Amino acid sequence: MTATVPHSVDTARFRWRWLSSFDSLILAVALLLAWEVGVRIGKVPAYLLPPPSMIVTRIISDYRALLMHTAVTMNEVVIGFGLAIVISIPLAAILAQFRSLERALYPILVASQTVPKVAIAPLFVVWFGFGLLPKVLIAFLICFFPILIDALIGFKSTPKEVIWLARSMGAPRRRIFFNFQLPAALPHIFAGLKVASTLAVVGAVVGEFVAADSGLGYQLIVANGTLDVVLSFAIVVVLSILGVLLFAVVDLAERLLLPWHISHRTTGQERA
Amino acid sequence: MMTATLDFKHVNKSYGTASGPIEALRDFNLEVGDGEFISIVGPSGCGKSTLMSMASGLAFPSSGSISVKGERVTQPVTDLGIVFQTDVLLDWRNVLDNILIQPEMRGLDRRAYETRARELLKMVGLEGFEKKYPYELSGGMRQRVSICRALIHEPPLLLMDEPFGALDALTREQMVIELHQIWLKTRKSVIFITHDIQEAVLLADRVVVMSPRPGRIAEIIETHLPHPRRPATMETPRFVSLVAQVRHVFEKHGVLKVYDPE
Repeated sequence: MTATVPHSVDTARFRWRWLSSFDSLILAVALLLAWEVGVRIGKVPAYLLPPPSMIVTRIISDYRALLMHTAVTMNEVVIGFGLAIVISIPLAAILAQFRSLERALYPILVASQTVPKVAIAPLFVVWFGFGLLPKVLIAFLICFFPILIDALIGFKSTPKEVIWLARSMGAPRRRIFFNFQLPAALPHIFAGLKVASTLAVVGAVVGEFVAADSGLGYQLIVANGTLDVVLSFAIVVVLSILGVLLFAVVDLAERLLLPWHISHRTTGQERA
Repeated sequence: MMTATLDFKHVNKSYGTASGPIEALRDFNLEVGDGEFISIVGPSGCGKSTLMSMASGLAFPSSGSISVKGERVTQPVTDLGIVFQTDVLLDWRNVLDNILIQPEMRGLDRRAYETRARELLKMVGLEGFEKKYPYELSGGMRQRVSICRALIHEPPLLLMDEPFGALDALTREQMVIELHQIWLKTRKSVIFITHDIQEAVLLADRVVVMSPRPGRIAEIIETHLPHPRRPATMETPRFVSLVAQVRHVFEKHGVLKVYDPE
């Protein structure tokens, strides 16, 4: 029963974290180097597999066009993702409160997910035209389900003792939800958001593949059409950076909102 | 005798399940007096959880009645403190905020209760831990916080459902003595549910011994052990004979099997 947290453990863990992220950086650099060397020694033509250095050079030289298309795609991704958050989480909260509603709606929601979103993308173009809307909708649809499912699991996994305790405090339902259920569900919700954040980019690009006049998906189709493989790779790199960026934003939000959660603790993981 | 804090009259409870109704509790009669400590000891399936949920007004008897301070229970009872086997602390609130959620949810002024929360923490030996988060505490410390949370609004009644069941033996013994001290200071009515005969006897004014399936009262034993009770109390002949008495009741009802060497 001592009040102090041992500092040595603290710093040791910190050092270990730093080291491990540093390790993955080394690993990544090594892989890129192997790619570069392999391509050069094997004399692989650039129109099949360009070396990383060529891709980087292209990103730098074409940055204006890339940036313009990135802005378009990012816009679709962020709106689609945001829409999914705003709709999925409240919907999950409502379903978790009303069992009968959940029983009625849940099977339909699951069944709707078996429809491949990629396949309905062309339909969206017919319905909503060539602009922003169909891309946003596809990104939204693709993000919607993982967020909903994880949030629903989160809301429903409140232990019955917690609800019991809350009711013994005479708290109305709304207070029970905001003070007990919602915070307890946040780790689940963030798990869903992380999955969805990477999917959102996929959704927007698929939308652009079908019909667009701008965006990274559109640019990729054009680059492929002219067999500009280096540009294709450059776009792929930018797309993954976009995905990583969105993921990082979600991860940062999680760290800020849930410093208490087990996945972010640096100390006290073992209870005495 | 004045109005009982909690009064069970001919309480029966059965649940409908897919394989027919299950009788959880049969003809349960108990009056819990003001400031009385009642231990309910029994094996699994003796309807202890059912008793808890009915005492707190989250489930209702199939027949019979339960009243708190003379008023029949028809909705969740809020004038009580509950301690569960799991501490049910909120991971995202620090120790102080975990205790203060009680007045917060009741719409009471948080600041008015902060002093009392600090006093309670001092009483359970957790002074200086106000800003710690639950994950930084040991199991025993967490359970102490949950006891503080159950006491902060000064309820007349405390329901404790195997509160030390998840703790190791040493911590458990320590906590039993601490709980006794807290009870001596606050004199709440307590219903303390446990599997542990020694724990039940050491703490209680009366020990309600339950038999299983359906849960019935097998016997009610008055302890008459002197206060304050200490670990040494467990070595006194009176304590030893009380424990034996409870054990005999369990043997009689087949809860504990008797093996004769032959």
